[in-house]
Amino acid sequence: MQKIKSLMTRQGLKSPQENIHDLSPVENFRIPSKEELRELREQPTDPQAQQEIINSIEEVYFSSDSFDIVKYELEKLPPVLSLQEMEEYRDKLKQQQAAVSKKVADLILEKQPAYVKELERVTSLQTGLQLAAVICTNGRRHLNVAKEGFTQASLGLLANQRKRQLLIGLLKSLRTIKTLQRTDVRLSEMLEEEDYPGAIQLCLECQKAASTFKHYSCISELNSKLQDTLEQIEEQLDVALSKICKNFDINHYTKVQQAYRLLGKTQTAMDQLHMHFTQAIHNTVFQVVLGYVELCAGNSDTKFQKLQYKDLCTHITSDSYIPCLADLCKALWEVMLSYYRMMEWHEKHDRDEGTASSSVSDGSNVIGAEETNFDRGYVQKKLEHGLSRIWQDVQLKVKTYLLGTDMSNFKYDDFIFVLDIISRLMQVGEEFCGSKSEVLQESIRKQSVNYFKNYHRTRLEELRMFLENETWELCPVKSSFSILQLHEFKFMEQSRSPSVSPSKQPASAISTTITLFEQYCNGGNPFEIQVNSKDDETEDVLASNGYESDEQEKSAYQEYDSDSDVPEELKRDYVDEQTGDAPVKSISRETLRSRKRSDYSLNKVNAPILTNTTLNVIRLVGKYMQMMNILKPIAFDVIHFMSQLFDYYLYAVYTFFGRNDTFESTGLGLSSSRLRTTLNRIQESLIDLEVSADTTGTLTAVEERKEKVPSPHLSHLVVLTAGNTLYGLAERVVATESLVFLAEQFEFLQSHLDAVMPAAKKPFLQQFYSQTVSTANELRKPIYWIVAAKAIDYEQMLLLMANVKWDVKEIMSQHNIYVDSLLKEFEQFNRRLNEVSKRVRIPLPVSNILWEHCIRLANRTIVEGYANVKKCSNEGRALMQLDFQQFLMKLEKLTDIRPIPDKEFVETYIKAYYLTENDMERWIKEHREYSTKQLINLVNVCLGSHINKKARQKLLAAIDDIDRPKR
Amino acid sequence: MSKQLKMTYSSDFLFKFLVIGNAGTGKSCLLHQFIEKKFKDDSNHTIGVEFGSKIINVGGKYVKLQIWDTAGQERFRSVTRSYYRGAAGALLVYDITSRETYNALTNWLTDARMLASQNIVIILCGNKKDLDADREVTFLEASRFAQENAELMFLETSALTGENVEEAFVQCARKILNKIESGELDPERMGSGIQYGDAALRQLRSPRRAQAQSAQECGC
Repeated sequence: MQKIKSLMTRQGLKSPQENIHDLSPVENFRIPSKEELRELREQPTDPQAQQEIINSIEEVYFSSDSFDIVKYELEKLPPVLSLQEMEEYRDKLKQQQAAVSKKVADLILEKQPAYVKELERVTSLQTGLQLAAVICTNGRRHLNVAKEGFTQASLGLLANQRKRQLLIGLLKSLRTIKTLQRTDVRLSEMLEEEDYPGAIQLCLECQKAASTFKHYSCISELNSKLQDTLEQIEEQLDVALSKICKNFDINHYTKVQQAYRLLGKTQTAMDQLHMHFTQAIHNTVFQVVLGYVELCAGNSDTKFQKLQYKDLCTHITSDSYIPCLADLCKALWEVMLSYYRMMEWHEKHDRDEGTASSSVSDGSNVIGAEETNFDRGYVQKKLEHGLSRIWQDVQLKVKTYLLGTDMSNFKYDDFIFVLDIISRLMQVGEEFCGSKSEVLQESIRKQSVNYFKNYHRTRLEELRMFLENETWELCPVKSSFSILQLHEFKFMEQSRSPSVSPSKQPASAISTTITLFEQYCNGGNPFEIQVNSKDDETEDVLASNGYESDEQEKSAYQEYDSDSDVPEELKRDYVDEQTGDAPVKSISRETLRSRKRSDYSLNKVNAPILTNTTLNVIRLVGKYMQMMNILKPIAFDVIHFMSQLFDYYLYAVYTFFGRNDTFESTGLGLSSSRLRTTLNRIQESLIDLEVSADTTGTLTAVEERKEKVPSPHLSHLVVLTAGNTLYGLAERVVATESLVFLAEQFEFLQSHLDAVMPAAKKPFLQQFYSQTVSTANELRKPIYWIVAAKAIDYEQMLLLMANVKWDVKEIMSQHNIYVDSLLKEFEQFNRRLNEVSKRVRIPLPVSNILWEHCIRLANRTIVEGYANVKKCSNEGRALMQLDFQQFLMKLEKLTDIRPIPDKEFVETYIKAYYLTENDMERWIKEHREYSTKQLINLVNVCLGSHINKKARQKLLAAIDDIDRPKR
Repeated sequence: MSKQLKMTYSSDFLFKFLVIGNAGTGKSCLLHQFIEKKFKDDSNHTIGVEFGSKIINVGGKYVKLQIWDTAGQERFRSVTRSYYRGAAGALLVYDITSRETYNALTNWLTDARMLASQNIVIILCGNKKDLDADREVTFLEASRFAQENAELMFLETSALTGENVEEAFVQCARKILNKIESGELDPERMGSGIQYGDAALRQLRSPRRAQAQSAQECGC
């Protein structure tokens, strides 16, 4: 009912058709019976009324389903039932029902056609549906059939498909793995091709790739294999790195460096590299030396291979020493050059990278850049540090080699060649790391001193031979001769020319700014060139025995060449045979001039007096000076040795001509204490006195003996005993004056020697000059004294004087014959001197000394003679004066020497006779030059005349007094 | 280098040698070639006397030659003569391209025999053999001269090429050695120009002495 009511209420809102349509499919509501419909029709059809009626229907009736209307109505009944009311109420209900029925009937009627129509449609729909159901059923049946037929296969298919896809993936992996496995081969190929960065890159990629496949069990194996390979690569890389040391190749090195960078081991590589360089140096030198040692040993003995480098070096023969040294230097040069080029590479690389990184340095690779910066800094530091370490290594190796062989027997040029190589090496060192090469310098100093000692010993022996063969003949040279014309002194000319100062060298160094490294960077070897140019460079320095070949020297002697070829022969007429100096006329003029100066330099101009041996010494000095220039560090030793040359010459001249025990003891102070000290020093330091004696005894330190030379012997050809040659005066003059000449040359060289002398050793040089060189002309005294002492027969004169009566009572007008005899002796001496001077120019100082000695000796003899007088009168004293005056007068005609030496000595002695007692006492005290005997005799002679006995006693006591402190 | 090798051996004898002959015949070049094995092409006239020494092996014996290279020029004659004394051997050198130098040989020979010793062993050397085109003295002529003068030994040498240079010295030394062995020469005699070398001395004297000697012996 309720539904109906809602239907009815809705009716007003919707069309009835819709209503019905709405209802019909959903509810099967009760269709009102015809009766009811009729009844309803009977009822007033006033819709209004009807509506009111319907409206009056209690709401309850329109409520929902399970409402029990009967019970509701019953319960509503009042407790007191009134029929009427009940009737009424029943009517009312009936009415209501009628109205509703009517209404329903109306509605039904109204909707009938629509209903029918709808029904039809429902029916057709039903049919359609039934059809569809059939189709559906069929379809389902078919589907089932189909299902039965198809699903299993397709599932299998799908599964297979999926499997296939998986397998394809697997295949891919396997292929990759296979490739990975194969890369190993490729890797080793790449290694062979030395493509290290590629190999490492590949290897690292492989590792990365492998790690993505690490679920495969085979991969772990592969992984370890790759790891092995990587290690192997590293090893190979290390080997490659070691190759750098010997032969730097930019491409090679770049690859290696890249490789290390990939490995992230740049620093390790550096450490490793330095180790390799050290190793390379060692191996190189060892191989080079071993090669030579084995070559020289001639057999394939393997014992050398086990030797230490140091011991190996001692097996080098002197033959192979130089080529081996050159090769050693060459090899070491290559190692150093590699290092140098490597540094260069790093510099360049750093620069390039610096610019590259500065342009790209943003964000992401800042850390990386920092790291590389750090690496770079490390590498740079390491490289710089390595320079001096490597150089130190090289130096030590070369030092060991240098000192391994005793070079003292090397030829001069060979030795110089060694020095050249080493100085070249030091230059390399200087350029390499600014090193002063102290190690090399020290070892080369050692060897030089050793070598030079030996060289010097030989030269000294040779000098001894020269001296022993020397007949002290004048070696004819031009008057304008200067040692600078000698080949050996050519170097001085050169150094004197524009600027003497040592600043010359750095200047030339600056002008050739190109370093050896730059010069030989692209091949070639600084030590190679040396070998080639060896001959040209060293030839002239050596000329060991003076095979001079020099324009300058030629000019010094060319005029002597007259008797060698025809054109010169023609000139001969105009050239003096002796001096070759100038045409005859000027010679004579020269001669006249010299005659004025000295009687004894007659037909010779003042050409220097020197001997073959002197020349030899001078040449040696020249060579020694060249040595000094080359060997600045041992300059002192060289000068020391040079001084020995002079010492030995001086000593020889002295022992040959000046040593005379009888005259030395006369106490005339012939040789000054200075000279004696010098001679003693030379004898002690230089002269081996034991050689002449039997040598079986004392082993006085062979080493010390080595430094010494035996005393030379005068050549048998030199005769010093013949009176008519004035006891070898010519030879004596030549010898002594050649020594003086030599001393002059040394004086001349002093400043040069001083310049090369280290400051600390300068006193030695000064001492040498002041104590030795300057004593050279002091040798004249003892040497010429011997001549003077023998040239005139003083004994004979003493005898003649003894026969003279001095106690004469009258003044004599005639001098005594002893004066004539003495003068005759002097005349003979003068003649002989003249004769000698025809052979040898006798320089003025020499003739003066000779005359002085002779006169002095004569005067002393005269005084001695006067002191032998037993009795003397005043007249006798006058006679003495007369005799002496006569002597002086004649003597002054013979000689130019003024004043006559010791003239006072005689005159004072004669005149002392006239002194009174007191004066004589004073005189005795003042004149100590007279001997005690002479003084006593003077007093005794005076006794009878003006000195009494008492006075005599007093005077004798005075003589005794002055005599005593003398002893 | 081979010279150095020899230096390490001690010598049995020491011979004093002379090189004489006219100026410009190449005496110094011969000596230089002998010692240095090099030709000195820019040589000058020798002043006075120069010196060289070398140890050579003659028939198994080591002989040290002490060679005095004299100036050929007349003015040095007085200087050079003093070196003649006591020479055991001499190289008398002339220039095959200069008859003048050949003509002077007799004088040189007399000088040498007079000043050195009657027994001096002389080898005649016709130098500058390489300049055959300019030859003025034939080989035959010179060999006749050599035969006529107490059988001098004779060689034509070239200091330039080194031909016969060493031979000249060696032959001369060999002859002296032969004479010593035959007793014709007595090394002990004064002025013989021969001395026992240090190796011989070693046998004669105490070993210690010999050591000292050998230490003094060195390359010249």
